[in-house]
Amino acid sequence: MIRPGTRRVRWAGWLFAAPALGVYGVFVLRPLALTIQYSFYSWDGIGPSTWAGLSNFRTVFSDPALLNTIGNAFRLIVFFSVIPVLLGLAIAAVIRRIAASRLAAVTRTVLFLPQVIPLVAAGIAWSWLLSQTGVVNQVLSAVGLGGVTRAWLGNFATALPAVGLIGAWVLLGLCTILLLAGMTKIDPALYEAARIDGAGFWREFRSITLPGLRQEIAVCVTVTVIAALASFDIIYISTQGGPGDATMVPGLEIYELAFAHRQVGLASALAVVLIVLVLACVLPIQWLARRDAR
Amino acid sequence: MSGQTKMAHRGSVLAAVMLTAAVAACSAPGAAQPQSSATATIANAASGCGKAPVTLNAYIETGFQVPNSLMAEFTKQYPNVKWNIREDQFAVITQNAPRVLANDPPDLMRLPSISDLVKDGLLKNLDPYAKAFGWDKWPSSELVQLRLGPGGRPRGEGSLYAMGLNYSMTGVFYNKKLAARIGMTSAPTTLAQLDQDLAKAKQAGITPIVQFNGGATGGFAFPLQDLMAAYGSPGPINDWIFNKPGATIDTPANQRAAQHLVQWIKAGYLESDANAMDYYTMMSHFTHGSGLFMFDGDWESGNLDKLMPGQAGFFLMPPAQAGGSYAAMSAPLTYGIAARAKHPDCAAFFLNWVATNPTARQIDVQVGGSHPLGPADAEMPAVKPGTVTAATLSAGSVVSRDNGSMDFIANATGAIYASAWTPELQKLFAGKETASGLLSTVQADYQQELAG
Amino acid sequence: MIAVRREAVTGYLLLVLLMVFTILPFVSLFTTALQPSGTYPPGLAWPGHPHWGNFVQAFRVAQMGSLLESSVLIVLGVVPVSVLIATMAGFAIGHLRMPGARLVFFVFLLGLTLPFEGVITPLYYQVSSMGLLNTRWAIILPLIGLFMPFSVYWMRAHFVTAPGELSDAARTDGVNTWQLFWRVHVPLARPAISSLTILLFLWTWNQFLLSIVLVDDPTKRTMAGALGAFQGQWGTNVPLLCAGSLLILVPTLAVFVAFQRHFVVALLQGSLKG
Repeated sequence: MIRPGTRRVRWAGWLFAAPALGVYGVFVLRPLALTIQYSFYSWDGIGPSTWAGLSNFRTVFSDPALLNTIGNAFRLIVFFSVIPVLLGLAIAAVIRRIAASRLAAVTRTVLFLPQVIPLVAAGIAWSWLLSQTGVVNQVLSAVGLGGVTRAWLGNFATALPAVGLIGAWVLLGLCTILLLAGMTKIDPALYEAARIDGAGFWREFRSITLPGLRQEIAVCVTVTVIAALASFDIIYISTQGGPGDATMVPGLEIYELAFAHRQVGLASALAVVLIVLVLACVLPIQWLARRDAR
Repeated sequence: MSGQTKMAHRGSVLAAVMLTAAVAACSAPGAAQPQSSATATIANAASGCGKAPVTLNAYIETGFQVPNSLMAEFTKQYPNVKWNIREDQFAVITQNAPRVLANDPPDLMRLPSISDLVKDGLLKNLDPYAKAFGWDKWPSSELVQLRLGPGGRPRGEGSLYAMGLNYSMTGVFYNKKLAARIGMTSAPTTLAQLDQDLAKAKQAGITPIVQFNGGATGGFAFPLQDLMAAYGSPGPINDWIFNKPGATIDTPANQRAAQHLVQWIKAGYLESDANAMDYYTMMSHFTHGSGLFMFDGDWESGNLDKLMPGQAGFFLMPPAQAGGSYAAMSAPLTYGIAARAKHPDCAAFFLNWVATNPTARQIDVQVGGSHPLGPADAEMPAVKPGTVTAATLSAGSVVSRDNGSMDFIANATGAIYASAWTPELQKLFAGKETASGLLSTVQADYQQELAG
Repeated sequence: MIAVRREAVTGYLLLVLLMVFTILPFVSLFTTALQPSGTYPPGLAWPGHPHWGNFVQAFRVAQMGSLLESSVLIVLGVVPVSVLIATMAGFAIGHLRMPGARLVFFVFLLGLTLPFEGVITPLYYQVSSMGLLNTRWAIILPLIGLFMPFSVYWMRAHFVTAPGELSDAARTDGVNTWQLFWRVHVPLARPAISSLTILLFLWTWNQFLLSIVLVDDPTKRTMAGALGAFQGQWGTNVPLLCAGSLLILVPTLAVFVAFQRHFVVALLQGSLKG
């Protein structure tokens, strides 16, 4: 701890923090305040605005199309979050044994590729794979499921799961590597003891692996939930919210409302709701993780 | 721990107070904008591009060769004018239009729908140019769709706010080889005959209709509007598109038309992955012979003559009753000049050149397949007989005889295609929407947009 | 014995399957890029005549040289400044602990889970009124601001663990605060700084939303934003689109493969701390 020195030294910290605070304030805090302000008005972005009170928020919670976007965001959590975490756990558990081999090092590089490329590139690549003549249909036909083939992103029932698949592809590698790294940190002595007690794979998994991974699981869930709720890039480039509004998500809806439909107030209200939703989902996860870490 | 909690509490209260203060203290966003009035005098409106080097910014629709060919020819004739071209797909252009016109105004921009843009004062009033170049002496039907009253409503009268590179004709294209296979020797003259042809194709294992309905553009609007005109008259449809007060799309005739489309869907006449098919895929399928009919416009005549020479035919949508009048969507290929464009005079000069220069008119017909704008007595470029271009051009005279030209229902407002027609048509094809539900939903959206 | 081997074999199989699943999109992009331009080929088929020319054409029409230059300029504008001011702020909050440091930290924390869509609308009007629309500054300045919550959090996490005795010793030598920061603590923070640099480089290069809303000209966007424009203009020509996408991915992939260990460490730590 720095010995409390002269006043100048004590307050020097403010000078150091000023630039960061400044840029943050101008380009994040001010727009955030403005978003909240805009949400109380009815504005087309060009002409004058009119006070709208809470009516924009009322619309967000009553308009079926807007509620549908929020519903889609939560449905995407299943694909972006649940699948990568569960599958990542399973895969990490199985490959833990060979975690030190050279194959694992190559795997780490390969599994990280989806995290390195822009989400739009993933969207473009997968739009092509999921098209009528794409690889997915080719594989299905090859294994005799030719009757199931369709244009996955153009079909009302399968469009959202298809988009979810793209997100799962992007996030699976990250979760697997993260969980694997976490697993290698668990004290092997614990596993030794369990083995001596005659515990099988599942007992080990439930009593040693899972608790030891609490922090990593929380991180996986947080990152993926935010990715699902705030998704924009993938949907913009692959379906634009269609067919109909089967894949419309809040992020894309905000963009269209604000810039294409010129309803800035409604867009801002939806933006505020999105921000609150993200907080409402992430804070409990973090609180749960921190509480048990103590 | 408690210290941190207290700090967090104090911090959150402080943050909330700061934000509320910010919200309350700021004045309401936005300010009144002046309407774009006719600022150019008639004298310098015809000044054209001058002699100094000038670069025009153009934002056009991707996948169509006509504007590129016209611009290349223009530079050949006027070497001091260069083009900076940006291309995007139809739905993205419509989405970007308000933003781009406001902040990065191009000199020339493809604009499917202009009423909202005029309301926001984003388009240049072209009346001075119309007077200077003599556009108001052309047949009024050519430009009537581009006239708007003050504030953007109603359409069909008032100042000129956009021009066209040509005007299109739409109808039904057919594959001559496949038609011969089902014994279709001449174009159907009634809707019932068309239904028969569709049934024969289905029985012969040929996909009756290849039509796009996917991506962000619901192409079923073409057959739907053709059916509406077959069952009713174009007048009420045009009134609705032009935002005339009291106009509605939810009429008994249109309900019958939508129901007829549902029958086609249920009978399996439309290609099964229509909801995933975008416009260019439809063209690719049709030119490869995978379907008998396609509802499209003569902007593809040039392409069809090139890709399937002698194999493609065209007919206007037949009326419901024998001997009824013909109607078709026929609209200018709308291009506007941004209100704050840097070189509006040069852009207007280009638009005039497109309609009056013989080489430009030839490009319009040969590459674009569509009828150029211009005076009624202007020379029409020669067209090879037997080509589909010849067919679409001659259809124009039938439609104008019957006074049957309509604008596209997709252009009624800036957002109605993306927010209402497309999702509803996609749901209709997927069996998740009924004919009457489609029309009532679109009408409700239409009224909401006009009110807001 | 057999059980262990079976587990190992299952493990290897799973790994291989996972890798195939991960690589598949890239392979499909590659084979499709070699098909004749303008066609709609089947998903995974090696073409009879590989059209390597598609890559050349894509390079030309996408103006890849300008795209690279633009992305590099934006990264140079965002990353060094962000890392510097975040390190300074992290140092102030985590080490100097000036009065109100906790409050400042909390203010930064507010933005940690903020989705960009939450502020993009006012940001557009704000950047517009600054006259910066359609310039690279439209991406650079807001991005620096938007990266502050995570970056300050990250650097603070390092400085909180930095030994205080070093500073005490340095001060008795008569060192002022800036020298203390620059000469003593920054070198210590090198691992944290290099990880942060990698993360911010990646997030800047792949930034899409700000790119397409605030900048129209593809040659002034990030690579990801330019890919959006490329898809808009050439998206209907599938082989060309695939070729262009691959070309746009090449720089990121090349940098990743070269620095892979640093990337992986950075991404893992980034997620854990965040």
